[in-house]
Amino acid sequence: MNAKLRDMVISNLIAILTGLALSGLMLLLLNINPLEAFGYSLKTMFSDPYTLGEVFLKATPLIFTALAFAFTYKANLFNIGAQGQFYMGAIVAVSVSLRLDGKVPTAVLLLTVMVCTAAAGGLIGALIGYLKARHGANEFLVSMMSTYVVLALMNYLLRTFLKEGKGEYPQTDPLTKAAWLPTLLPGTRLHIGFLLAVLTAVAVWILLFKTPLGYRIRVVGSNAAAARLAGIRAETVCVVAFLISGALAGLAGFTEVNGVQHMLIQDFNPGIGAAGLGIAILANAHPIGVIFASILFGMLNVMGNLMGRMPGVSIPSSITDLMQGFVMIFVIASYFLRDHWQNRREKRSLQRGAAV
Amino acid sequence: MAPFFELRGVTKCFARVIANKDVSFSINRGEVLALLGENGAGKSTVMKILYGLYRADSGQIFMDGKEQHIHSPKDAMTLGVSMIQQHFALVPAHTVTENIILGNVRGKIDYAACRNEVLRLSRQYGFDLPADEKVGSLAVGVQQKVEIVKALYLKTSLLIMDEPTAVLTPQESGKLMAFVKEFTRGGNSVIFITHKLKEVMAVADRIVVMRNGAVAGDIRADETDELELSRLMIGKEIVKAERSREAGESRGVRLELSDVAVRHKNQAPLLRDINFEIARGEIFGIAGVSGNGQEELCGVICGALPVTQGAIRLNGEDITHKSVRERISLGIGYVPVDRYRDGMVMDMTLAENMMLKTSYHPKWRKGLFINEKLLNAETEAAIRDFSIKAPGPDTPAGELSGGNQQKVVLAREVACGTQLMIMDQPTRGLDLGAVNNIHTSILAESKKGKSILLVSTELSEIFALCDRIAVIYKGAFMGIYPREKLTTEKIGLLMAGYSDTKEAEQ
Repeated sequence: MNAKLRDMVISNLIAILTGLALSGLMLLLLNINPLEAFGYSLKTMFSDPYTLGEVFLKATPLIFTALAFAFTYKANLFNIGAQGQFYMGAIVAVSVSLRLDGKVPTAVLLLTVMVCTAAAGGLIGALIGYLKARHGANEFLVSMMSTYVVLALMNYLLRTFLKEGKGEYPQTDPLTKAAWLPTLLPGTRLHIGFLLAVLTAVAVWILLFKTPLGYRIRVVGSNAAAARLAGIRAETVCVVAFLISGALAGLAGFTEVNGVQHMLIQDFNPGIGAAGLGIAILANAHPIGVIFASILFGMLNVMGNLMGRMPGVSIPSSITDLMQGFVMIFVIASYFLRDHWQNRREKRSLQRGAAV
Repeated sequence: MAPFFELRGVTKCFARVIANKDVSFSINRGEVLALLGENGAGKSTVMKILYGLYRADSGQIFMDGKEQHIHSPKDAMTLGVSMIQQHFALVPAHTVTENIILGNVRGKIDYAACRNEVLRLSRQYGFDLPADEKVGSLAVGVQQKVEIVKALYLKTSLLIMDEPTAVLTPQESGKLMAFVKEFTRGGNSVIFITHKLKEVMAVADRIVVMRNGAVAGDIRADETDELELSRLMIGKEIVKAERSREAGESRGVRLELSDVAVRHKNQAPLLRDINFEIARGEIFGIAGVSGNGQEELCGVICGALPVTQGAIRLNGEDITHKSVRERISLGIGYVPVDRYRDGMVMDMTLAENMMLKTSYHPKWRKGLFINEKLLNAETEAAIRDFSIKAPGPDTPAGELSGGNQQKVVLAREVACGTQLMIMDQPTRGLDLGAVNNIHTSILAESKKGKSILLVSTELSEIFALCDRIAVIYKGAFMGIYPREKLTTEKIGLLMAGYSDTKEAEQ
């Protein structure tokens, strides 16, 4: 176990550094000194509390969407529609917040909004799960397409019922401070949604590995035929897994609307569903691993932004995507490296045993 | 004179196991060599090295005294070595002729000539192959003959057969043995991989026994007997579990199937006219060549396969339309034929596998969570009671050997099958030690009053354990017989579909 943990830390570190090194090579082609750029962004990030807070702020919704993908993945199902479930959560978050704003105490409002967003995302998820379980629909396609349906619904609502009082832009009225998620650290934008995300990840881990329901979800995911002979109904598990997965993605809508944007605008965080998917794979769908992988992605995001604003040089903003892409490729490749190390170790100990 | 083929000091390691260590033996021209050993003893691995499928970590191979480097099956075939795998390498959608010439023709194919050559070869050894038939429509025994003719077509002089009789009826096995004798008379050699002692004594000139990846014995067949061989194979003597019968107790009916049939549209019925009952404490055997409806019968009783017609009763209660989960809670245990596919979750721990069938049972729950203390305690008890070789309840199931995995399944099903246990070939592919263990458990459970439905393709197992035996063929029973009324010859005929209605009990 110890050797395995060591392998994991070392191989992941190598993977991240290799990914950054390759990105740096690309900067070199633009006649920019990568060491300078990385040094500048890292120094700024760690010396400025506001910027450091941004890292965790950016990680928060990613934790939720990554958990959403990881959860169905454990049941060998694919929820590609976290983006849509997030939008649904965001629509409900802003609607309920605007309705209750100023009428109930902040704590009551936030709790109500949280429950409603989870329910909204969960409903979309459960519908996908139901279509799969009852009618054998391909959950991969249905969930992917559901995003566009919800997106269209959101755009429609932003132009009609949810349109701001001024009637100028397709966006909602802003929430008053009473509906904001409280800040975690003064002087930063980091709000308690980050804590909620971390706690949710722990809760998902407990649900998956410590409860009979999670056990059944994993059985269906690992061996559906054995599950059937054990009297576990794969159909039920499918609906439940999608319900929970959708609820997790929906919660991202809550933290983003009430914690960051404080209103709903068009083209709101369009990439977090896809990023969550990548992060979940990066973390091998492990709920605790998702936390670290999300923070890593938040960090790369902030670093990219800082480099883009670096005085004196012009680094394209796509450096963020570049770094995230390279790091992801190498972290996934490192799984194979770890397997190889493990195999070699076992083989060697066997050969030693045989020689004696 | 140097032997035909010789292996010297062959060693092969996989990541988690030493498959072969320092294996050396030889085979002469015209000899039948049996490679005997339990499953996992390394028989197949060493043969795959000779056939070029695996590369040895160290060791040498000699042919007629000259060292050879065999890196691929192609190299092996050039030297005249062919191997028939346990799972045939045939293309079902192609004809017999096409399969046989596959990979050995260039340019424009002269089908007529190929076809004549195939017919000539098959006639020479009395195989009578239908040269233009599609392989997919042939019986398994005939497919094996296609594999053999494929090897003959390549002018093979050393034929390796991996467990060739596993899929055959006793009559077909007999014919195969006759072929082996005929083939070697012409100066060719055969290596026969098997774990069946009887076959070895019947066909082999010399026997190499393997145990734990190493050679445990190299003896002439006429200088040994089955007892010595089994001792070499497992390293200790086996006590045969035999049923001691207490006659005359009045026993109630536990399971009853009446008129059960399963038909799917446009298909031959999977099961038809199944009528039988099992008494309390009875062991009821289903004999037959695999693939004749055994799996479907088990599925119907455990609830995984819905019946088209008929009724199933457990203790008088109609369970025909009850779900798998309801039937588990009524006390039906099921050891499926393929534990990898149906019986276990290999990447979960032993403890997690122990609660697979009863995951809904409240006893595993402590508040919202799984009661891990109880689960671990029960798993440890199972490890002890069934002598499962495992470090502890946290061990991933996939890391155990096949026999120990099967014991885990058995322990679980013994615990949940309080009324009836369905066992589909519970000892398939296991070594003698594990087989013995499992037989003892089956007998002990039946003594406690549990009813047992035992499906097996091993006649010795059926005869050793069962009170009554039904022979299944193409989804229907050929008859139900008390054990004493059957002989190996008779059961062999029934398994091949030759009915004998006069003596049937019903």
